[in-house]
Amino acid sequence: MGDIRQSLLPRDVLSAAKELLYHLDIYICNLVQSGRQTPQVDTKTLELVEEFILHSPKDRNVQPRRMSALQELQLLEIMCSCFQEQSRDAVRQLMFSALFSLQGNRADESRMALLSKLVSMAVAVGRVPILECAATWLQRTHRVYCVRLARVLVDDYCSLMPGSVSTLQNIHSSSPRFCCQFITAVTTLYDLTTEDLTPPLELLQMIVSWLQDDPRLVLVTLLNTALSGSPPISSLDLTPLGGLVRWCVKAPLAYGRSEKRPPVANGTAESQAAEAGPLFSTLHLSVLQVLMMLPNVLNEKGLFGRLALLQPETLATLTSDLSRLLDLADEHGPPGDAHTLSQLALDRLAQALQVALANGALLCSREDLRAICSRLPHNNLLQLVMSGPVVYYNNIHTPPMAFSPHSAHSPISSHPTHQPLPPHPAPHPQYPAQPFLSPMPFPYRPNH
Amino acid sequence: MSVVFDGTPPMQTSHPHPPQGALSAQELSQEIKSFISGVDSVQGRKLSVREHARCAVRLLRSVPACRGAVLEHLRGVYDEHVSAFLHHLETEGDGGAGVSSNLEDIIQEVHGVLSEFIRLHPRAWAPLVSAWAVDLLGQLSSKHAGRRAAPHSSSLNQLLQLWMSCAATRSLMEAYSQCLAAMLAWCPEACVDALLDTSVQHSPHFDWVVAHIGSAFPGTIISRVLACGLKDFCSHGSKDLPLAPAGGGDKGSRVPKIGSVVGILGHLAAHHSDSIRKELLRMFQESLSPSGPLSPSSSASSWESSPQLRRSAVPFLLQLAALSPTLLGAVSAELVELLRPPVLLQLQALLLGLSREELENMLGLAVHLISQSPTGGARVLRFLADTATPASVIISGPTPSPLDGIREACDRLLQMLLLHLHKLVYNRSDGSEGMGPSHHAASSAQPQRVIPFLEELQAHVGELCAETLRLERKRHLWLHQLLCLLSVYGGPSVATEALCQLLTQARNPEELALAWQLHTPLSACLPGLIPAAVGRCVAQIHTHTLGPRQLRQLLLNLAAAVQSQDEERRGAGPAARASVAVQVGGAVSGHLHDFCPLLLHGDPAAVLQQLVEGALHKGNAELFGGRIADMAGDTPLSPSLTPDLGASLLDTNCRFGTAVNFSGSVWSVFHAGVIGKGLKVRAAKPPHDPAAVVQNIQTLLAVTVQCCSSSTLNGGTNGSQRHPNSDPDEPPPPINAEAAKVVAMTLVENICPDVANGELSWPPEEHARTTVERDIHIRRCFEAHPVLFPLLQVVAAGRPALCYCSAVLRGLLATLLAHWEASREALATDSPWHLRASCLLVSCMGEGQLLPPVLGNVHEAFPYLTPFEVRLLLLALWEYMRGNGPMPQKFVFSPDKGLFCRDFWRDGDVARYVAPIHSVLHKNIDRLGHLCWRFQL
Repeated sequence: MGDIRQSLLPRDVLSAAKELLYHLDIYICNLVQSGRQTPQVDTKTLELVEEFILHSPKDRNVQPRRMSALQELQLLEIMCSCFQEQSRDAVRQLMFSALFSLQGNRADESRMALLSKLVSMAVAVGRVPILECAATWLQRTHRVYCVRLARVLVDDYCSLMPGSVSTLQNIHSSSPRFCCQFITAVTTLYDLTTEDLTPPLELLQMIVSWLQDDPRLVLVTLLNTALSGSPPISSLDLTPLGGLVRWCVKAPLAYGRSEKRPPVANGTAESQAAEAGPLFSTLHLSVLQVLMMLPNVLNEKGLFGRLALLQPETLATLTSDLSRLLDLADEHGPPGDAHTLSQLALDRLAQALQVALANGALLCSREDLRAICSRLPHNNLLQLVMSGPVVYYNNIHTPPMAFSPHSAHSPISSHPTHQPLPPHPAPHPQYPAQPFLSPMPFPYRPNH
Repeated sequence: MSVVFDGTPPMQTSHPHPPQGALSAQELSQEIKSFISGVDSVQGRKLSVREHARCAVRLLRSVPACRGAVLEHLRGVYDEHVSAFLHHLETEGDGGAGVSSNLEDIIQEVHGVLSEFIRLHPRAWAPLVSAWAVDLLGQLSSKHAGRRAAPHSSSLNQLLQLWMSCAATRSLMEAYSQCLAAMLAWCPEACVDALLDTSVQHSPHFDWVVAHIGSAFPGTIISRVLACGLKDFCSHGSKDLPLAPAGGGDKGSRVPKIGSVVGILGHLAAHHSDSIRKELLRMFQESLSPSGPLSPSSSASSWESSPQLRRSAVPFLLQLAALSPTLLGAVSAELVELLRPPVLLQLQALLLGLSREELENMLGLAVHLISQSPTGGARVLRFLADTATPASVIISGPTPSPLDGIREACDRLLQMLLLHLHKLVYNRSDGSEGMGPSHHAASSAQPQRVIPFLEELQAHVGELCAETLRLERKRHLWLHQLLCLLSVYGGPSVATEALCQLLTQARNPEELALAWQLHTPLSACLPGLIPAAVGRCVAQIHTHTLGPRQLRQLLLNLAAAVQSQDEERRGAGPAARASVAVQVGGAVSGHLHDFCPLLLHGDPAAVLQQLVEGALHKGNAELFGGRIADMAGDTPLSPSLTPDLGASLLDTNCRFGTAVNFSGSVWSVFHAGVIGKGLKVRAAKPPHDPAAVVQNIQTLLAVTVQCCSSSTLNGGTNGSQRHPNSDPDEPPPPINAEAAKVVAMTLVENICPDVANGELSWPPEEHARTTVERDIHIRRCFEAHPVLFPLLQVVAAGRPALCYCSAVLRGLLATLLAHWEASREALATDSPWHLRASCLLVSCMGEGQLLPPVLGNVHEAFPYLTPFEVRLLLLALWEYMRGNGPMPQKFVFSPDKGLFCRDFWRDGDVARYVAPIHSVLHKNIDRLGHLCWRFQL
C-alpha cells in the first residue's frame, strides 16, 4: 500500500484523496478476506491517510496542501457513497477506523474536523452505515472527542440551522445506536454548570420526544455491546442514564439560576425555563421508566447485580453540585420559588435513587447512600429513601415503593407508547448479532 | 429580503420538491450532487448561474456540512456580479445590463438568507459571515482595483461610491455591518482585528471598507486602526519611511499600514474629527504615562502593555501627522496645550530610550511638521520660546536637572526650525531676484511652495515685534531672525509692517536699533522698504490708531533716526547706518505735511509743554537770556549734548561725573575743578542784547499766560495774540490750575528729571546733604535760564500747581541755604543773584500759597539783612514746609474768585515758625521798622 504514495503525489488534492480511498477500500477488503482474527491496518496506510486525506504535513518543512471547501465537500460526498456502497460491515468498520481513529498526533485535529463534517452530512442525507460506524467510534473514543463531535452536530442542527432539527430527529429511526451514543455524548457535554453548557431547547425537545417514543433507546448500546473486556479508558458511559438523571435533577435549579441573567439573544431565559420545565418532567418520567426496564434487560444478559449503570461516584458529584446550586438558590432566588424548585430537584433525586436502587442500576448500600446525600437539605422523600428498608435487587412492586407516584401500577406495562420488551432483545436489524460473553467474573464498572 | 426566499423560487417548478425545509434525505443527496457537479442530477442538464446559486442557498439552509462549500461557491457568484457590474460601467451606453441585473436578484436572495441567519442566531452566524464577507470584500477590492471603471485607491470617496453602488459589495458590506453590530456585544476585538488583517492584506484597495465601517462604528474602529498602525510601524521601524512625503503619490506603497491608517482616518476625519483627535491625543498620553496598572479599558493584548509599542507611539504619531495634513491640523493645537512640564518630563524619559539616529529623525520630523502646521503656529512658537528660555536667571545647581535637558531640546528645536525655515524661504524661488515671492507666483515658472507656519504667522507680526522688543536674552534673537524670514517670505507688505511696528513700538535707542538690524538684511532684496515703512507709520497718524503716548514715541523714534543723520553728516558713521538715516530723513521729509496737523492739535497742555521745553532747549535758551555753560560733570541728562572732544584720559578724568553716575545714591560726588587750578572755567558766551531778552521773555510769558488762562483747556492757540499790556485795565483772567500743572510738570521734568515723580512732602533740612549734587544741578539750571523764575510765577498763580514743583523748590532752597550759610559777605546784597533768587523763590511760594501770608512776605526783608539772617529766615520757611507739606488737596476751589485757595487755619499754628522772623525784626528794628506790619499774625 505504501508504494502508491509516489503515484499520488503528482495528483491534485481531490484526485489523490479519491484514489487513496479507492485503494484503501481494496486493501481493507483484502485484509478482511485474509481471515485474520483481528485485521489491522498498517502504519504506512495510516500515514497515507493523514497525508492525502487529512492533509497533515509529513514534516514541518512542507507546506501542507489544502482542499478548498468545495473539494472537501466533494470528498465528503465520495466518502458517503463509498460507505454506502460497501456492503460488508467489517470492511466499513475497518475503513472508518483507518480514517478516523484518533492516533494522538497532529493529524487528529483535521481528522476531527473531517469526521464532524462527514457525520453532519450523513445525518442530513441519511447515510445509515456512516452513522453506525460513528456510533462505534463514539464507543471507542475518549469522551473529550465524543463530546466535540456531539457539539458540532448540536451547533449545526440546533444553533445554526434550527429549521433542520427535524433532520437530526430522524437519526433515532435510521440509527438507534448512533442516536443512543449521541444522547450519551450530549448529556456528558451539557452538564448544566454554565449557561453555555445548558442544552439548547431544540435539543432537549428532540431528546424528550425520542425517549417518549421509545425509552429503550437509551439502552441500545448496552443491548448491542458485547462486554468482552474493559472498555477504552475514559470513553463515554455505556448508557446516558447518569447524564439524564443529572439533567432532570439539576434542571429546576440551573434554569432558575439563568433567569437572573440578562436575556440571551434567542428569546428570554425566562421563557426558555418555562418551556423547559415540563420537558424535564417528561424526561424524568422516561428515565424512571427506563430504570424499571433494567432488571429484565440485565437478567437476560446475566448482569443483574453485577453491572452498575449508575456509579456512586457520579452520584456523589451530582449531590455536591446540587447542594451548591441549592445554596445559590437560597441566596438569590425568590424565597417561595426557590423552595419549590429545590424540593422538586430533591424529589427527583430521591425518586431516581429509589428506582435505580430497586432495579439494580445502582449498586450500593443505604449507608453509602446516606453518606452521598449527607450534605443535602431535608426532603421528606429523600429521607424515606435513605432510611427505608433495604430491598436489594427486588421487584418494583415491593411495599417500600408504595409511596412512589409510579408504584401504583407497573410502569412498563402502563406506559401508553411503550412496547413490551421481547424476551430476547433483538439485535439491530442491520447488525449481525454479536455474542455476549455472559459469564462475567466481576461487576462491570465501565468508568473509573 | 428574506421574503424572497420564503416564497417558492421559480426554479423549483422544475423540481417537484416538497415544501421548504422538508427536503428528504434522498433529495438532499441529489441537491448536493447537483451542487458539486453544477449539473441537475435528475434532468442531467447544466445549471445556470442563478440555478446553481439557488441550489447552494438551499443547501445552506438544510445541510450544515455544506456551509463552507456554499459560501465558497457564493464568492464566485459575487465576483461574477462585480465583473458584470464593472463591465457594464465600462461599456456604458451599449445597453448590456442583462447579466448584472440577473445576478442582482440572486445576490439579494443570498443577502436575505444570511441576514436572517445573523438576526436569528447572531452568535453562531456573525463570526462566520463576518469573516467571509471581509475576506471576500478584500479579494474583490484587490482583484478589480485595476479595472478601468475603478478609481485609484487614493480617492477613498470615489471608491466608496463605486462599491456601494454595486449590489454585491454593498450586500457584503451590509452583512458585515450587521455582524459587527451583533458582535460588538461580546467580542468586538476579534471582529475588528479580522477587518484590519484583511485591510493589511489588501491595502490600499480595501481601505474604503474600513473607512465605511469606521464611520458606522467610529468608537471601535478609530482606536483599533491606530493601534494596528502602531504595531505595524513598530515592526517595520521608522527608518524605511521618507522623512517628508514627496508629492504624496507613492505613499503607502512601501509601508502599507501607515498609508492605510492615514487614508482611513482621513476619510473619517470628515465626520469624526473630534473622535480622531481624542484618540490621537489619548494615544500620546497613554504612551507617556508610566507603565503602571493598565487602564480598565485596555485589554491585555492592547498596545499600551508593550513598552516597545509605547516607545514607538510618539514617532508613529509624528509620522502620521507628516503624512496627513488633516491629522496634523487636528492635533497640533491641542497637543501644545498638553505639553506641561510633567508631560515634558515623561516625554523626555521616554525619548531617552531612543537611539541617536531615531532622535535626529524625530527632531527633523518635528521641525518639518511645525513648518507645515497650518494653525497654532504662534502658540507653538510661544511654547518653544518659553520652554527654551530659562525661567530664571539663576541656573539650577551644578547637576543638570531634567528641565535643563528639556530646555536644551527646545532651544535646539527652535534653532533647527529657524534653519529649516531659512532653507525653505531662500530656496523657494530660484530665478526671480528673490523678492516677495508670493506676489510673483504667477510669473515664476515653478509654483511657490507655501509654508503654512509662516503663512499663519503673518497675521501675528505685531505681536512678534512686541515680543522682540522686550529684548529678552535669546528670545529676541530668535524672534528677530524669524521676523526677518517672515519679511522675506511675505514680501514687501509683511516687511513694511514689521519695520513699521518696530519703529512704532521701540522705546529707546537700543530697541530702535532692532529696526535697523531688521532692515539691513532685507534692504538687499526689498528696495524701498524704508520709505514704505515710514509711509505706513505716518499713515497711522491719520487713522488715529495710536494713543498719544504711542504717537509721541513714534515721533521721537523718527526724530532720533533723523538726528543720527545729522550726526553722521558731521562725523563718519557706518555706511549702512548713514544710508538708513538718510533714507529715513528723506522719507520723513516727504511726509512733512502729514506732521503739520499734529502741531495744530487743540491740546493746550501739549502746546504749553512745547513752549516750556522750547524755552529751555539749548538752541533757544540764549533768546531768553540763558547762558549755556559747560555743564560737564553736572548731569547725565543727555550724553549727546556733550560734543565729543576726542579721547583724552585726562579729560575723561576731569569729567568725573560721566564715568560714574552717583546721582540718587547717598554717595554724592561732584566735581568743582582740578586741584591747583581753581574752579572750573565756565565758557560763557557774550550775552544777548538785554532788551531783546526782556522782549522775548515777555512774549513767551504772554503766550504762556494766554494758554493757561483759556478757561477751557481746549481753547487752543487760535485766539488773538493778546498782549497783557495791550489792555491793562482789564484784569487778566485767572491762570487755569490744570494748565499751570502742565507747566509745573514740564519744568520739573526738565530741571531734575530723576525726581520727576518725587515726593511732594519735604524732609528735614539735614537730609538735603544727600541730594547735594542734584540740588546744585537745579541751581545751575536756574542760573542758566533766567526765564525759569517768570515761569515759576505763572505756575504759582495757577494754584495749587506749584505743589508739583516741590522738588525744584526744595532743591533751590537747599542750595540757597547752603550759600547763605557759607557766605562770608557782610550783606546779603553782596550776593545779588542769590538774593534775587531767594526773593523770587519766597514770593513764588507765597503766591502759590505754599506759605501763609506772613511767611510769604519775608523776602521783603532780605535786602536789609546779613547772609546769616537770610539763612535763618529761609530755614524757618523750610521748617514750615516740612511741617505743612505742599499738598494739592489742601486747596479748595472758590467759585467767586475762580481760583483755588488754601485755608491756612486748617494747618498747624504758624506762630512757632514766625518766631525767628520776629527775632530778626527786633535785631534790625532800626532798618526794618517799616516792615513790621507785614509780619503780624
